[in-house]
Amino acid sequence: MSAHEITLGAPERVVVRYGELALKGGNRADFERALVRNLKDALKSIAPVVVERQRGRMLVVPQGRVEEIAARAARVIGVKSVSPAWSSPPEPEAIAAIARAVFLDALAQLPPGAPRTMRVRSKRAEKNFPMTSVAFDRWLGDRVLAGVEGVRVQLDDPEIELGVEVRPEGVHVFAHRIPGPGGLPVGTQGRGLCLLSGGIDSPVAAWMSMKRGLAVNFVGFHSFPFIGEASKQKVIALARSLAQWQSRTRLYVVPFAPVQLAIRENTPEGYRTILYRRMMQRIASRLAERDHYDVLITGESLGQVASQTLDNLRCIELAATRAVLRPLIALDKDEIIAIARRIGTFEISNVQEPDCCTVFMPAKPVIRGEVGLCERAEAGIDVEGLVSAAVAEVEILRIERSA
Amino acid sequence: MAPRIELDAAATTPLDPRVREVMLPWFDERAANPSSRSGPGARARSALDEARARVARACGARAGELVFTSGATEANNLALLGAARARAKHGRQILVGASEHASLREPALALAREGFEIAWLPLAADGSCDLERASALLREDTVVVAQVLVHNESGAIHPARELAKLVRSRSPRAHLHLDAVQALGKLEISLPALGADSLSLSAHKAHGPQGVGALVLAGNPPLAPLVFGGGQERGLRPGTENVAGSVGFGLAAELAESERARFCAAAERWRAEFLTGIAGLEGWRVLETAARVPSILGLVAPEPASEIRRNHLEARGILTGAGSACQAQKSALSPSLAALGLSADEIRRFLRLSLSRTSVECDPALVLESLRAVDEELSKLARSAR
Repeated sequence: MSAHEITLGAPERVVVRYGELALKGGNRADFERALVRNLKDALKSIAPVVVERQRGRMLVVPQGRVEEIAARAARVIGVKSVSPAWSSPPEPEAIAAIARAVFLDALAQLPPGAPRTMRVRSKRAEKNFPMTSVAFDRWLGDRVLAGVEGVRVQLDDPEIELGVEVRPEGVHVFAHRIPGPGGLPVGTQGRGLCLLSGGIDSPVAAWMSMKRGLAVNFVGFHSFPFIGEASKQKVIALARSLAQWQSRTRLYVVPFAPVQLAIRENTPEGYRTILYRRMMQRIASRLAERDHYDVLITGESLGQVASQTLDNLRCIELAATRAVLRPLIALDKDEIIAIARRIGTFEISNVQEPDCCTVFMPAKPVIRGEVGLCERAEAGIDVEGLVSAAVAEVEILRIERSA
Repeated sequence: MAPRIELDAAATTPLDPRVREVMLPWFDERAANPSSRSGPGARARSALDEARARVARACGARAGELVFTSGATEANNLALLGAARARAKHGRQILVGASEHASLREPALALAREGFEIAWLPLAADGSCDLERASALLREDTVVVAQVLVHNESGAIHPARELAKLVRSRSPRAHLHLDAVQALGKLEISLPALGADSLSLSAHKAHGPQGVGALVLAGNPPLAPLVFGGGQERGLRPGTENVAGSVGFGLAAELAESERARFCAAAERWRAEFLTGIAGLEGWRVLETAARVPSILGLVAPEPASEIRRNHLEARGILTGAGSACQAQKSALSPSLAALGLSADEIRRFLRLSLSRTSVECDPALVLESLRAVDEELSKLARSAR
């Protein structure tokens, strides 16, 4: 006998799951509050929402546009997965009718040729419910599948997992899980300043840092008039793309030509690249001190280019007065590119625009830099004057968040 | 920043305020679909027709023979692809100028993929189209010949009339298309006198708006449309018409013609003064061509690459061009400059100055002063290079 057939409308709410947060003992409440805030902020341009915190879950109740809300919520850092859901009254017969409709809808959406397998997975936080979970799964499965041909129940990795959550606040039924990025809510671990070039690596480093809970702003070094406006616009485009992952984003654009000219005129050619980078670290550190950033972030990866040998990384790092995070240090280029593609920065980075002018590039950069030699070379330039001038001339751009 | 002097008119020109003025009502209170059988629709249709007549008049054509497009790139595509496909039964050979803009070269390459045979028309030593070689290349089964009228990087005027005569005698079935984008407002354009079957124009190269151009046809040559729809523009370019843009283009074309003599005289004076000045700067070379418009100056600058020099000039408020703006983004070297006989190294140092009605009013001495100052700045770098 089949349950009473009903016509399925649009899903009404969105179940949002988060992973690690649930484990974080003392900080849990703070983390959850941050995630609620970040969710609301990300979703507000689509539709007004109410976010309810439940045990280990959040329930987003939007005024319309639920599918869009779900897709957007799945791109909020800290979110493990998202399911557009239908609600039901807490009676078994009513649940069965809705579950059947949700299942048939999911079945109709299966791509042709996909195995027609399913399972029911129910969770009961409502103790007064008249059946145990296992018994309820089986009873529901029978109701949902009654009269449906060619569908097999498969407990391990089925195509359709029909979820039913019975909670005191209400019953939710869903059949899709959209994976989220996971991680910790942006802002819960502090503030980072990422040195952003136009390349593939630094945007990935920024994103990985956000994923571990840092709010990240950016600093770009622009050597106009040796490098044209298009290079600056490329860095802005990257910052704009990364801005979708957090609530507020700033980009500092540092006029860098005076620094490069001074280094080029007064220091040994082989050390130029290291010295440019030491100056970038100093300028970024100064900005971090002034505007309260906890760490610097770079896209450096061990051995990828001449400036990224262990010796050179050490020379560069010693110029910073903040800790330097290098999330990509042990990743291969292929792995970095794969992440860049996934987060959508690859297409922007891949447009050919120079980020260093040929006149500044040394013919043979030093591979094994020595700190002592860096310091001796820098005696020939006015380090403090150049850093102060660069910080004084910095342009601050507020990057609008797009949906 | 210093006042902006835009010397990149071959890329685009500022919108003439008079043109903007006539366009505005068509965005607002007069906006209507010209295909609509309503009062406003009929008025939009009549404005569109008037604009068509104005643009046609600027190149000696009849209004009924002009198709508005999104720009010259589309017009060139429609001419090449449309004519080749419509004449495929008569032959498979296509002749395209080797130095041409990508909007002629690329559709030719697309036709090659469809099985057409492409021959490239070389340039003579003086930068103009090599008629002797053209004569040797033209065949009975040539179906399309495409050439620019004024070269966008050197300013050379190609002997289109002579080419047309050759085409008619050797390849009676060929469609001759001329890209007249850089000619409007700089050169008298008369489609009947040129003897071509079509020519392409772009509004924004002549102080009109971006996003509108035209393919001007002589009579009714067979053309296969590229897009299909509601039959607008004689079925050759269906889709709701760009009324505001076309109205703007109409006035821009008329102004280009009425102010042509004055502009050319001013540009000649500017050029003469500039050339006298640049002769005093070390390491610069001017691309000389047999016949040329006065408003485009192709230059080979000293080291380093012209991109760096252009950025330095931009910092001083002077915008210049490096060959075709459409090519500027590609790291590939401009094939059209190579066809002009420039080495790879010279192409890297190529710089183009081009004048509009606005920038011709600026003092060439100011520009020369900035060029000299940038030369000095950059030569210091070259000297200290180790």
